[in-house]
Amino acid sequence: MTDSVKKRNWFQRLFAVRGMGQVITVFFGLIALCVVFYLINPNFLSQRNVANLLRQIAPYLIIGIGQGYVLITGNIDLSIGSVIGMSTMISATLMTRGMDPWLATLVTMVPCLLTGLLNGFLVSACRLPPFIGTLGTMTIARGVAQLVNGNMNTDAIGRTAEGWRDFLYYGRTLGIYNTFWIALVIWLIFNFLLSRTRTGRHVYAIGSNVEASKLSGVNVNMTTIKAYLISAFCAGVVGLITCAQAGMGAMDAGTGYELFAVAASVIGGISTLGGQGILLGTVMGASVWGAMYNGLSLVGAPVAWRNIVVGIIVVLSVLIDVLVRSGTFNKARIRALFSKKI
Amino acid sequence: MKKLVALFLTLALTLTGVAALAEEFTVYLITMDLMDQHWVNVDAGAKAAVEELAKEGVKINYVWDAPTQGKNDAAQIESINNAFANNAQAILLASNGPDTQVATIEQYQKEGVKFIYVDSPANTEAFQTLATDNKAAGKLAGETMLNKLTEMGVAEGKIGIVNVNSSTTSTQLREEGFREAFKDTKFELLETQYGEGQVAASQTIAENYITQGVVGIFGCNEGSTTGTGNAIKESGKDVVGVGFDQSDAILQLVDGGALLATMAQNPYVMGYQGVLSAASILQGKEIVGDKNYDTGVTVVDKAYIAEKGLLTK
Repeated sequence: MTDSVKKRNWFQRLFAVRGMGQVITVFFGLIALCVVFYLINPNFLSQRNVANLLRQIAPYLIIGIGQGYVLITGNIDLSIGSVIGMSTMISATLMTRGMDPWLATLVTMVPCLLTGLLNGFLVSACRLPPFIGTLGTMTIARGVAQLVNGNMNTDAIGRTAEGWRDFLYYGRTLGIYNTFWIALVIWLIFNFLLSRTRTGRHVYAIGSNVEASKLSGVNVNMTTIKAYLISAFCAGVVGLITCAQAGMGAMDAGTGYELFAVAASVIGGISTLGGQGILLGTVMGASVWGAMYNGLSLVGAPVAWRNIVVGIIVVLSVLIDVLVRSGTFNKARIRALFSKKI
Repeated sequence: MKKLVALFLTLALTLTGVAALAEEFTVYLITMDLMDQHWVNVDAGAKAAVEELAKEGVKINYVWDAPTQGKNDAAQIESINNAFANNAQAILLASNGPDTQVATIEQYQKEGVKFIYVDSPANTEAFQTLATDNKAAGKLAGETMLNKLTEMGVAEGKIGIVNVNSSTTSTQLREEGFREAFKDTKFELLETQYGEGQVAASQTIAENYITQGVVGIFGCNEGSTTGTGNAIKESGKDVVGVGFDQSDAILQLVDGGALLATMAQNPYVMGYQGVLSAASILQGKEIVGDKNYDTGVTVVDKAYIAEKGLLTK
């Protein structure tokens, strides 16, 4: 490190991290959002709702981490929602048949991780377009979710699972619901893996330029598989949380979550084109997503408007990022944009 | 100066007095979704009760909420979480999954929130349940269909059932009652198909039934019934359709002859009585009416629509 780098203050160092610009922009957006909701309904920032909100954000954050890895490698994982459903149904079915909740948790993770392995294999070794490959596993995993209990939602998982349900959803530690702490631990681990290890650097490398990383000795197939495994792991965990929340397995659990995960990622500045973004962005993205739905509910916004507003926020946040990065806000560029002859 | 202080004190006292008089209760209505006209009618009944109570000096801050993207257990739990976070003192709940919400409801009951079930109860104790006796209503639907088939001279054949999902108690009971009505007949009741209460999905199911050559189809809720009616109308076949719930679309299907009849519930009564009971409990009094309040059904057929002028309004 040169002296000039050392002399930068903390603020400059913060901005020097790649991808931090978007994260900070979204952070201020989030603050603004919270202020608006607070002004309309002060209960938005009450102790009750903050605890509630942190718990609502947690699942989006967890699947956002998984989808974030996959997006950074330049792929996409559409199977997340179905893996959630599969995880919920398998764990609930096992528990209703009398298996110990913790053992059921371990057993459940096996098919989830296998789905991740299959995704990675199809996309890397078999060269299937990620959209198609994971669309297939999405449908298969949903089928498995329907199959495990004979196309029926399960019964209640019973009193023996109460400790397990508290650990994942209903219990609190230091006044905050456990679900949030679980999300935080998962984030710390995978953020470390992505930003401080060789695997993390490989994830960015293959997302930026597959050919170049191959030539420099990166095992593209293995890295892709790892990313999909992480995504499947995250989805599996959210499936367990969903099961703990409901106390039973529902076959349609997690429907549409793969796109919530994409939203959490892209709002936080992770590019769908690969190679860009940091997991701190996912924290912001998931927070915006959770705060939007919670806040719009608390201020009593009509249902149609809730979906419209959330959609607009997703588009805007990505649009601003794209425009800033391509330098469109430069005066000359704007002039050029409008004077272009078609 | 003294005068000013006195004035200020008087003002403060008056304001406190007014505030005490105008004590506000926060009452939530949480339904399965915000789209079905059935829920809109529950909301209308609730609003009417809120207005009436306001005239009597009981101020209620009333909020209607539900999952935004169709029926979903997890999302409905979040709606309850949000209501609690927004200081709801009483919650009128139409439970989407009777088992899924037990832990959440019991947790908030410990915190003092009063629960009243409308339409569909969850599997835990609450102050009151205002609902249709679904099994009896389902049986009535079955008998209505059976009478028509007998009248047409049809004594056997297949009958299809379009239900919502396997975890909604109300529609499960309707199906049970419906099946009971055909117990001692030669009719074959096919395996139930689930359309999640969505019109398009239900319509596809009904079309498949018609292809299989059924003589009758039963729709278990508003979406299922609309889908069934549309499918029968499109096929032009002589299939007897009987449904549940009342909406403009369904009334038109009945009036046009695609559906024989629909079992109209009284969602308005559920919302209206529910709010009256909630307000009463919050004031430390008893619930209004029975603990299990049967809101009943009406068989709405073409003649009834004409008689009541339901479509000319």
